[in-house]
Amino acid sequence: MKRILGVALGILTAIGGFVDIGDLVTNAVVGSRFGLSLIWVVGVGVAGICIFANMSGRVAAASGRATFEVIRERLGPRAGLANLSASFFINLMTVTAELGGIALALQLATSVHYLLLIPVAVVAVWLVIWRVKFSIMENVTGLLGLALIVFVVALFLLKPDWGSLAGQALAPAVPDEETGAAYWYFAIALFGAAMTPYEVFFFSSGAVEEGWTIKDLIQSRINVLVGFPLGGLLSVAIAACAAVVLLPAGIAVTSISQVILPVAEGAGKLGLAFVLVGLVAATFGAALETTLSSGYTLAQFFGWSWGKFRRPAQAARFHLSMIICLLIGVAVLSTGVDPVLITEYSVVFSAVALPLTYLPILIVANDPQYMGGHVNGRGVNVLAMIYLVVILAASLAAIPLMIVTGAGS
Amino acid sequence: MKTPRPLVPVPPVAGRTLDAQLHLLDRQVLDNDGVPVTTVDDLELSPPGSGPEIPEGTPAPVITALLTGPILGTRIFGGRPPSSRLIRIPWKDVADVGVVVRLGVSGQNLDADWVERWIRDKIIARIPGGSRDPR
Amino acid sequence: MILGDLLGTPVFDDDGVRLGRVADARFVVDGVPPQLMADARLLGLVVSPHSWSSFLGYERNSLTQPWPLPALLRWRHSGSFLVMWADIAMIGDGSVRLRRGYTAYSPALDGDGQE
Repeated sequence: MKRILGVALGILTAIGGFVDIGDLVTNAVVGSRFGLSLIWVVGVGVAGICIFANMSGRVAAASGRATFEVIRERLGPRAGLANLSASFFINLMTVTAELGGIALALQLATSVHYLLLIPVAVVAVWLVIWRVKFSIMENVTGLLGLALIVFVVALFLLKPDWGSLAGQALAPAVPDEETGAAYWYFAIALFGAAMTPYEVFFFSSGAVEEGWTIKDLIQSRINVLVGFPLGGLLSVAIAACAAVVLLPAGIAVTSISQVILPVAEGAGKLGLAFVLVGLVAATFGAALETTLSSGYTLAQFFGWSWGKFRRPAQAARFHLSMIICLLIGVAVLSTGVDPVLITEYSVVFSAVALPLTYLPILIVANDPQYMGGHVNGRGVNVLAMIYLVVILAASLAAIPLMIVTGAGS
Repeated sequence: MKTPRPLVPVPPVAGRTLDAQLHLLDRQVLDNDGVPVTTVDDLELSPPGSGPEIPEGTPAPVITALLTGPILGTRIFGGRPPSSRLIRIPWKDVADVGVVVRLGVSGQNLDADWVERWIRDKIIARIPGGSRDPR
Repeated sequence: MILGDLLGTPVFDDDGVRLGRVADARFVVDGVPPQLMADARLLGLVVSPHSWSSFLGYERNSLTQPWPLPALLRWRHSGSFLVMWADIAMIGDGSVRLRRGYTAYSPALDGDGQE
């Protein structure tokens, strides 16, 4: 019984923890401009993150090595540092975006200006990182994040024309008022949002934090293979809600309040209450994950002591670097730059950095020195190689498309 | 640029072989309690002889220390920190080389850990709760 | 002597013909351990004619997965060989010279990363 509960808890946490500010904003923007014609990308991205998160978890369980240790060891110091710089910069952008997201969500709930709420958000995030046990942190934010299921409920209550939605999703076409370049630009953004590298850093480091062994792999596999796709379904519901309400009204999403507008229309005040809880939990959970990921990547590259399972004093540089990251995030936000805009850029830059993150994981997952008998199967390798080609293509196309489309505007 | 001769297999050697790039460089270093100390940023070898020329029969150099600290920067960007600024972990403190390098001593007393200790004592341990066990 | 200085150094034979660059240094841990681990003695240098950068660790093991990466990366390192310490005549600032009649050994390791 305890085992089943554990599995259920793991799945629910994975679902609730899947969506972050990047998924929320990108899916809503895409839904409001392209309907469901890009939704296939969410499927591709979710399958990709399942493959690689699972692989990085297996590497961590079999060898006790988290992803960035492996990256440094395999790529060497030069390429490793280039990767660290890119990943760390994107991570910092994401931390900033999530902190802003918490503040914006709280603003919707309290009507206090979000800039005044940023100190509240950042202190709360830091306190959790400083004091709260890893598993409690994961489970609470994950379960509260499940409140975002209200997007699915709202979609049903909106009584959409299911046939037309299915038509958009199954026979994707570029809408008349959009260009092909913008379509592919947002395809890359959605892909980047689903496959953000920090998820893999966090997932593999979390496996070390929780002391996984090979025995825990079945549970982790279920969490990933069931939880992530269901989390992806939430993303689809966000896009669908936007497609049903905002697309016909000609509203292109540029703010968080527009993201949740369809919920208010479909599910009323109660729905609004749920979506606000879900928004705060999702952005808060992701702020924790990205802040920790910043610390993980730095510590693992330089070989510092790290981990929430240690006393902060026993991982001093790790904790100090996270404090500095949070302060940088606050400094950037205090300039008044729009967190939604930061989010939109961060998901595209994520796509650029993807290959350097995923290639070393794939290689080490095939190395018996690390894995013993738990090396990748042939089928996983074929899928992973196909994904690497897709990831590489997306990575190379991202910046040119960003320039051509003026960042999708 | 070619090596025309067919390659001979290496005559068997007793003991373990370690290729520096493949088995040592950039690996995580853990102390005897399993706490990360640093990474292997470079290796120091005993000098092969008095000058560049190596007379026949000169004994092979051995690894004297794992290097860390500023050497990482110079390995990436070139240049060389002065010898006094190299942070050494003597090879005699190394207990095992696997996917990590394990030391047989505590990291607490190593030069390689001084930044960590400084940040701990000056900053982190002074914040309330900094020494609390999270588990 | 610092290993990082040696890696990437051009290697010449006795006639001054350039053979490649130092790609790696192989050590052997043998003898009686006076302490925790025995001394790691330099067995020889791996010389690679094309690329001296270690890349992803494929160059000397026998892994074949995930296809086609190992084959591609091994091809980058094809032609590399191991020279024993006894065959090294000079280690200078910017070059390494081998003795006349040096032997080029296969640099391969087995699947466990051992010879």
